[in-house]
Amino acid sequence: MSTTTKRSWTGTVRERAVGALPPEKLLPDKQPAYMASWIYVFGVLSLASFVVIIASGSILTLKGPGWWHFTGTGHFFNSIHLWSVELFFFFMVIHLWGKYWMAAWRGGRAQVWMTGAVAFIVAVPCALTGYVSQQNFDAQWIATQAKDGLNAAGVGAFFNVTNFGQMYSYHVLLLPLAVATLVAAHILLVRKHGIVPPFQLSDAGEPRATNAMPVPDSEPARAAGPGSGDRPTPVPKPAPAPAHGPAEPATIPAEPVP
Amino acid sequence: MIAAIFNLNHPAHTVHWHFFTMSVSNVVVILLMLVVFAVAIVAPFPRGRGREPR
Repeated sequence: MSTTTKRSWTGTVRERAVGALPPEKLLPDKQPAYMASWIYVFGVLSLASFVVIIASGSILTLKGPGWWHFTGTGHFFNSIHLWSVELFFFFMVIHLWGKYWMAAWRGGRAQVWMTGAVAFIVAVPCALTGYVSQQNFDAQWIATQAKDGLNAAGVGAFFNVTNFGQMYSYHVLLLPLAVATLVAAHILLVRKHGIVPPFQLSDAGEPRATNAMPVPDSEPARAAGPGSGDRPTPVPKPAPAPAHGPAEPATIPAEPVP
Repeated sequence: MIAAIFNLNHPAHTVHWHFFTMSVSNVVVILLMLVVFAVAIVAPFPRGRGREPR
């Protein structure tokens, strides 16, 4: 056996993984104070819905169409699967709105944003293939409508939505695997970069019109560097010079200057 | 079998506005999402343990 110090690939992968995502980032026990807002809840609500989708879908896959159409328990799990999908998209849309208006790609979080957006896009055909895999008249109607739509879009040669076997394979394996992979990457990236801080307010009463857009270099997240957890430190900024004459002290209180 | 709470044995009601057509159920869901989004922004969040002090 060789006595050289050449590392194995497992050791290299381990060191890179721990370096990119140390345990205190992977499973943190504290979060920044600005996370105390309901708008930060919808990501985990989407994740909870996704877990219910996978669990109920796995049961439906095991039992088959005869069970979910003609038994009471099958109807129940079919409904659980449907409504968890409805809630998944409901929560995911609100999560998307919140992060869009928060500009959640700030501070080196572009990959976090992109994996979330692509997960949303891939989830749409995942739901469509589920609707056309129901094995009922509703599925036939949706499949023929979707066929016309896909043909009109010029991609009808690649997908045959009236082919149950093809759509069922997409629905129970390929697309859920893609969504799960993207969601896992999204969560790991959130752990790596931390949640996005809110916009910094102008401290010294300067008119917002001159400083309305966020300046990435002024953010504590940027100052701390990429992958540093990006938790802002509440350090008061020096008061900038007024751009349009002195601020009115009667309406805008002066901030302490360190 | 227990009947559905709402009678679903009819074609969907739709909203028409020029070229725009959408089922009432979809309109209701979108409006509900907007309401929940607004409430999530303005509603106070209960303070919990394990968070950094402000």
